[in-house]
Amino acid sequence: MRRTALEPDPSDLATSRGHESSYPVLEASSLRLQFGSTTVLSDLTVAIPRGQITALIGPTGSGKSTLLRTLNRMNDRVKGFSHDGDVLLEGESIFGRNVNLMLLRRRIGMLFQRPNPFPMSIGDNVVAGVRAHRIAPRKQHRAIVEARLKEVGLWDSVSGRLADSPFRLSGGQQQLLCLARALAVGPDMLLLDEPTSSLDPGSVETVEALLRKLVPALTLVVVTHNLAQARRIAEQTMFLFGGRLVEFGPTAQLFESPNEPETMRYVTGRIG
Amino acid sequence: MQRVTGGVAVIPMLALLFIIAVLLAQAWPAILLNGGGFFTHTSFDLGNTYGAIVNTHGVRHPQGASYGVLGWALGTVESSAIALVLAVPVSVFAALAISERLPAYLGRVVGLFLGTLAGIPSVIIGLWGALTIGPLLAHRVYPLLAHLAPKVPVLSFFTGGTGNGQGLLTSGIVLGVMIIPIVASTTRDLVHSVPKLPKEGGEALGMTDWEVARRVTLRWVGPGIVGASVLGLARALGETMAVAMVSGVVLSGSPGSIFAPITTIAATIVTQLDSAFTDTSGFAVSSLAEAGLVLVLITLAVNVAGRLLVRRVASTALPVGRGV
Repeated sequence: MRRTALEPDPSDLATSRGHESSYPVLEASSLRLQFGSTTVLSDLTVAIPRGQITALIGPTGSGKSTLLRTLNRMNDRVKGFSHDGDVLLEGESIFGRNVNLMLLRRRIGMLFQRPNPFPMSIGDNVVAGVRAHRIAPRKQHRAIVEARLKEVGLWDSVSGRLADSPFRLSGGQQQLLCLARALAVGPDMLLLDEPTSSLDPGSVETVEALLRKLVPALTLVVVTHNLAQARRIAEQTMFLFGGRLVEFGPTAQLFESPNEPETMRYVTGRIG
Repeated sequence: MQRVTGGVAVIPMLALLFIIAVLLAQAWPAILLNGGGFFTHTSFDLGNTYGAIVNTHGVRHPQGASYGVLGWALGTVESSAIALVLAVPVSVFAALAISERLPAYLGRVVGLFLGTLAGIPSVIIGLWGALTIGPLLAHRVYPLLAHLAPKVPVLSFFTGGTGNGQGLLTSGIVLGVMIIPIVASTTRDLVHSVPKLPKEGGEALGMTDWEVARRVTLRWVGPGIVGASVLGLARALGETMAVAMVSGVVLSGSPGSIFAPITTIAATIVTQLDSAFTDTSGFAVSSLAEAGLVLVLITLAVNVAGRLLVRRVASTALPVGRGV
């Protein structure tokens, strides 16, 4: 049961997701990303496996974040950005003319480097996307808020103050709230841009444990500077260096017996 | 140094207290004689300025002099309210368009026009209202409006004769035009200050531009927009010249329809000061000062209410505390 970005599955809110098949969820082919005349990433052909966590590692400026933000087309409006090649979601180009960008982003959610709650109550934050997409009638919102906050483990600490400002929560709690908000619209995939880099160690552990729980129902792509984190949470790791894909494979193999000398130098801390 | 800056800081406070004290001193005879009736009826009657000055409770005044501020105050509040209702949505949309939609150079051009509009003397706007837009509206638009409004109790306020364009609605429209630059430019600056990250969060969630504007940007600056509106409202309440030119300056009674001629406290003071000086007892001038005091109180009340409203709106919306 393939879906196009134009036709959302009505069962999106349900927890059952189509992860029975083994073909890749997202494929890039001959992808080149540019800002003006500067090529950030070139000749990227890769298939991201379904229902796993894929880590994107590489030194600063290797194009990790640019690649991530291309996958849900957040770069569309960045001045000077252009791309060549294609990205297929479930076999269909995300750049296609009749792709509904709003529905694409509903299917491919995103979590940012720093928590970015909206200026509304904690409860309203959780259902902000649900409201925007008119996913559920108003009387179900309360139940969605509870379910999603329980899913991210925030419910016990915020259930008594759903009407309060989210900006009084700790950084880690804010990030969990943003995760609950992203999950509430029923995505198939989540893109995470260094989601724990601004958090304290305790919160990092919480978020990582949570991400492990999201697979295999969801497919996760995580940009991280933290190699130990990639080893802890990702089944697959992709190493970008100097604007190209150097190596992509199972995390353990990439860290312990990489095929490329550059990968070896990076994972052993000699470059980066 | 600290003492100097501290001293400078109290100057605005002293200036306000001084103005109120002077007004109070001027108005004192009128307050004594007009009593509570000043607030419950509408009249501007100099009395017999050619007859003998009489003395009541120690206040000298012409025989038959009578003043009441009710209608003027109503005209002030109603025309300013209309201005606010018209100007705030226009300003907010203009601000969003300038900073979120238009290309930068077009935004600057529109901003330039806003600045110019703010700088046009109110007497010129008044002329435009009295000679051009007022008559035009009265002939082309008001009859339609009056025709469409249902003749039921509250809404019948929107029916009736549409006159020649001098009246409550025209005053509100002209005032609205005058406060748009204030509200719009303040709102534009606020919208500019909204960080990128929460807006990107909205986009990444699949919100449309309009939804990001409505659910994220506007909520982020909500308290500021309330503040900007209060600023605009204060300007409208005190605006004098333009309103004096388009309100019709009817000194007695209060408007029975949105098209009826009215007056405001400020317009009354500026148009009647001349004749008030013909009252050699000084009672007419004192009564105008009392009206001025009422205007100051209305403006202060609006500012206090605005502050409370900002605090209310800010309690969940404003990013306070950690993590921002």
